[in-house]
Amino acid sequence: MQIQPSDLGLIARVAELGKRYGSGSGAVTALDDVSLGLRRGEFTAIMGPSGSGKSTLMHIMAGLDSPTSGRAWLGDTDITELSDSALTVLRRRRIGFVFQSFNLVPTLDVRGNIMLPFELDGRRPAQDEQEWIDELVDALGLRDRIDHRPHELSGGQQQRVAIARALATRPDLVFADEPTGNLDSRTGREVLGLLAAASARYGQSIAMVTHDPVAASHADRILFLADGRIVRDAGRSSAEEISTFMLGMERAA
Amino acid sequence: MRATFAGQWPTLLVAALAGTFGTALLHVTGVLAVAIAADDVTGESDTVALLLGIVATVFIVIAVYVSSVVTANTVSTVVAGRTRLIALLRLIGSSARSQRAQIAREGLLVGVAGAAIGVVVGTGVAFALDRVAVATDLMPATDYGYANPWVALPAVAVVLTTWLASWVGSRRVLKVRPIQAIGNANEHDREELGGRRGRNITALVFFVIGTALLVLGVALGLVSPFGVLIGLVGGIVSFTGIVLGADVVMPPVLRRVGRVFGRTPAARLAAENAVRHPERSARMTIGLVIGVTLVTTFSVTMASYHELILAAQRAQPEVYQGVDEMLNVTVAVFTVLIGFSALIAAIGMVNTLSLSVMQRTRELGLLRALGFDRRQLRGMIVAESAALTLAATLTGVVLGFGYGWAGAQALLGSAQGTPALVVPGIPWALFGGLLVAAAVLTIVASIAPARRAMRVSPVVALAVE
Ligand SMILES: Nc1ncnc2c1ncn2[C@@H]1O[C@H](COP(=O)(O)OP(=O)(O)O)[C@@H](O)[C@H]1O
Ligand SMILES: [Mg+2]
Repeated sequence: MQIQPSDLGLIARVAELGKRYGSGSGAVTALDDVSLGLRRGEFTAIMGPSGSGKSTLMHIMAGLDSPTSGRAWLGDTDITELSDSALTVLRRRRIGFVFQSFNLVPTLDVRGNIMLPFELDGRRPAQDEQEWIDELVDALGLRDRIDHRPHELSGGQQQRVAIARALATRPDLVFADEPTGNLDSRTGREVLGLLAAASARYGQSIAMVTHDPVAASHADRILFLADGRIVRDAGRSSAEEISTFMLGMERAA
Repeated sequence: MRATFAGQWPTLLVAALAGTFGTALLHVTGVLAVAIAADDVTGESDTVALLLGIVATVFIVIAVYVSSVVTANTVSTVVAGRTRLIALLRLIGSSARSQRAQIAREGLLVGVAGAAIGVVVGTGVAFALDRVAVATDLMPATDYGYANPWVALPAVAVVLTTWLASWVGSRRVLKVRPIQAIGNANEHDREELGGRRGRNITALVFFVIGTALLVLGVALGLVSPFGVLIGLVGGIVSFTGIVLGADVVMPPVLRRVGRVFGRTPAARLAAENAVRHPERSARMTIGLVIGVTLVTTFSVTMASYHELILAAQRAQPEVYQGVDEMLNVTVAVFTVLIGFSALIAAIGMVNTLSLSVMQRTRELGLLRALGFDRRQLRGMIVAESAALTLAATLTGVVLGFGYGWAGAQALLGSAQGTPALVVPGIPWALFGGLLVAAAVLTIVASIAPARRAMRVSPVVALAVE
């Protein structure tokens, strides 16, 4: 019997992943033979200088883009083989997203945005799911904003709504791409604290792309990417340690 | 500058259509006038030719008016979608006035091009119609020379109105603040609402005064057919009020219509999209409302007249012999002529829907990332298109029915010697036609945007600007 990613305690895995854009002399290698596994329940940060392939890696792991070579799994599902509609359903049920900006559907209020993944699935949240959503709404301080539209909220509040939506379906994995990129540093810290808490308290697996050492210091594990390759796999680190390593990487480049 | 001209194709199309319509109609009336002058029976009187001229002018004015409303709305939509670019240019030192002047200049050029195309194509169409009519013995050959100087008039009107409409449509450029270029990447969801209240009050005043005049016209119509003239003025004034207040009138209609499509996420988002910017939905639909109202008003008035004629015919068959057929032909011809304005308005809706979908690329990407599949996205766009079309058509039919009945009452209330209530004729054929047209428009308007929406990759929602 073959060993499945889940047998190794992994929630997601990629093997020998390659991604090239374009062809011929103008081709760009965004990912070059990347293999890694994300552990269940962990908050993983993916770091690297601009252009190192962080977003590309995340897009492939989330089934938003397909690799040029290699494979990617979510749980035990090989997502590199799935059709567009199967990937759509997978995103609906098993993945949550928090983006840098433009996270919310402008025509829906806070409740509508949080409920959207359920509605897309054509169902109402079950009793225990509803309790979970209520808990999230309270924990994220959104109770008195529940009927507001996104444009009536501050950037930090919008990001909290996005987090609530991402966690609402208790997905296998939440992807966050520079979730604090558009926030001031205090609001940014708050949002990071919430993500870290979701992982620590509820065992939510999270993969966060960032180039901010302070953001990465909230994570359990930090993967460093440079020129499309994993160059370091570190445990929890302080912002200073991360900065030092990043600076060293820049100098080496 | 190519980027700026790219958004001008719809305006060029609308200007060219209006120009073609005006030119062709003038040539055709010219040909008819020559034919009538040559005829032994009717040749004596100039009245027929004069009447033809007046009728042609009315239809050309309507078409040019509708096309300038459409153009102004297209320009505003383009400008709204370019807010960030405009803000960036403002940021690096370009003045709002010069940017607006630039848009108006483009409008002038597009107007000239459209008018030129219109003169050429319109002359060709009229010539072809002339030949076909002669070949099928519908009409004797005439020596009408196509160098008719009057044709310059619709051409000039198209140039001026396109220019003016671009100017009016670009006024929101003045409201773009340079800071919007560096604000966060969230879509600017609220359009500026400045000057709304003033316009709404004007709209209300127009509507009230117009309605009062309309009522007066109907009352007068009980004793004299001249009541219709006052009624006509009242109708124009009150309808202007409705057009001005479109962003108050249309959203509630859209909201009701939107409920028809059910509660699926796609339908709900479509309904919300249709009303999210009152100004934008008003812009998208008002041209079509004008077109449908005109067609319906005319048809209801004529149908009422027809009923009256039928009644008279039953009483005195000899006197009214052949009237029926003539009336039908007249109604058909006029409906087609007004229908052309409705067509221009429909093109306007196709444009604005397409533009507004293009401007929502990131939002569509977000929906894809969250788990909307392609079919749901397409369903959303089709439902949005259907909501806009249905709302505009229904509003137009209701208004047109009211105006048409009022017109018939004012015109015919005294026709039987004693004051009488006129039963409104119901133009079933027209309603059927409108229903089919609305369905076709819904599909046509949603093809391009739906295809584009289905191609949107979920990755665009994550892209950092
Ligand atoms: N759609 C694309 N077409 C061509 N090149 C791309 C595309 N997307 C990313 N790249 C290139 O791939 C490399 C990695 O990009 P990305 O994953 O966005 O890096 P990061 O998120 O770390 O900044 C960069 O060199 C970038 O220019
Ligand atoms: Mg990136």
